Amino acid sequence: MERKSIKLVLALILMLIVSCNEPETVVTDYVHTDGSVTRKIEMKSNEADVNKRFKISEIQVPLDSTWTIKDSVDIDKKRDSIWIRTAVKQFKNVDELNQAYKKDSSANKNVSRQAGFNKRFKWFNTEFHFSERIDKQLSYGYPVKDFLNSEELLYFYSPESLKHDKETGPDSLKFRALADSIKHKTDLWSTKNIVSEWIGKFSDLTAGRAGKDMTRESLKARQDEFIQVVESNNAKFDSLWQNGIILKELIGEENAVKFKTEADSALGSVTKYFLVDFKDYSVRIVMPGKLIGTNGFIDSSHVLLWPVKSDFFMTEPYEMWAESKTPNTWAWIVSGIFLAFVLTGVIVRIIKKG
Amino acid sequence: MKPENEKYKKVLDLLRKSKPDLDSTDGIEREVIKRISRVNHSRLFLSDLVDFLFGWVYIQWVRRSLIAASIALVLVFVYQQSIILKRIDYLSRQAIITEKESGSAPAYGIEKMLMLYRNSGWRLPSKNTTISERQMKELIESVNELQLKYKDLENLIEEDPELKEMIEKKLIENNHSKINL
Repeated sequence: MERKSIKLVLALILMLIVSCNEPETVVTDYVHTDGSVTRKIEMKSNEADVNKRFKISEIQVPLDSTWTIKDSVDIDKKRDSIWIRTAVKQFKNVDELNQAYKKDSSANKNVSRQAGFNKRFKWFNTEFHFSERIDKQLSYGYPVKDFLNSEELLYFYSPESLKHDKETGPDSLKFRALADSIKHKTDLWSTKNIVSEWIGKFSDLTAGRAGKDMTRESLKARQDEFIQVVESNNAKFDSLWQNGIILKELIGEENAVKFKTEADSALGSVTKYFLVDFKDYSVRIVMPGKLIGTNGFIDSSHVLLWPVKSDFFMTEPYEMWAESKTPNTWAWIVSGIFLAFVLTGVIVRIIKKG
Repeated sequence: MKPENEKYKKVLDLLRKSKPDLDSTDGIEREVIKRISRVNHSRLFLSDLVDFLFGWVYIQWVRRSLIAASIALVLVFVYQQSIILKRIDYLSRQAIITEKESGSAPAYGIEKMLMLYRNSGWRLPSKNTTISERQMKELIESVNELQLKYKDLENLIEEDPELKEMIEKKLIENNHSKINL
């Protein structure tokens, strides 16, 4: 109950902090056997102003005038108008898709994204592997799996609708407790990542100029101490940092004065990557043939689904992949004929020998 | 018995003596030879074909290689299919999401940003900021105040079981209209 209330307030705050013109976006990739991809972007917005609605710079994935665009209006559950834009484009292969990512001018242009396609001939079947990968943001962060167990990890990566269903369903108490546990652990994960990244960036900037007590290894060995300093001063961190008090506590007075610029620069870099300007969206993939493997979720229309959030690629690359297979009918026929031929030969020999 | 046997012998003798007059014995001979040679020819053709197709069965290394290839083919088929079936079975046991996922902002993202801001006072990237830092601080303070008030309210509810029961009942009733964050 408390969590929901806090979330509501936080959501209201976020609405003020972050510009909320981005539509709710679901990207669906229809993968074909020849490696071509039909990408469909479905955007929903309740923005009444036509000039603000579906601005290319606010959309989560690359989109330009070469797409086939269709607009429609619908009424949502609250009887409000909801504008829907559907954009479709056929990509010859994943290289073309990756070119679009390279020329990205969308809201998420700051993150590096690539698509991959692989086709493997395995005689009886041909297997297809398609993936969308987002590169990690932090260079010195910790993988989230070091902080969460397998059940928590699965929940952490789950789509919001699934979490909502579980947290309001029959075992709601269990799942709320799980969500709280994840929240607590990911807070610790975030703090550790910030400190670790700062140490990494700072030691990069001071490399060759700092003493032995300022090497990455020696700073890393004092990481827990750093975390304690940060946490104990969190109420006035900004002013204490500006005055150099925290830095003095961390690396000593002499070093704090000498490397103030580098420390500030490292902190700026950490903030930039930690608070990456990223608008969440969902990815759906439709594979050719029979699906045989994926790390995604399956939605109500039996299509693979992944939520895409900045936390997922903070310290590790986030890869959404799916594998499918199509049977090679001709190979089945050839194999059958070959087996029948060999079997007949063996029988002929037995008869003649007898 | 006797007269019957005699009659039979007489008929046989009569038949033996009255041979048919063959006007084209050469033709009959040719036809017979033709038919015999046709039967031999077809037998020869089938035998040749069998020898041609299955001649390899008499060459040991070819025979063994083809049998080994057949076994390998069967094993590959069984292995591939069992792997695929196992993977499909694993997928079929996965939970199905009842609703389509929307791209709405996640709770963790909001909390992460707020946590960072509140704990450290670090400035958010200017691109995202549409309100001043002072206003932001005011908001944070109001959130903290709200949290305190909420805790007071929660304590009040905890102390009164009747009120708690009533609120829980109301919450369950309103469950459908709750905002999904």
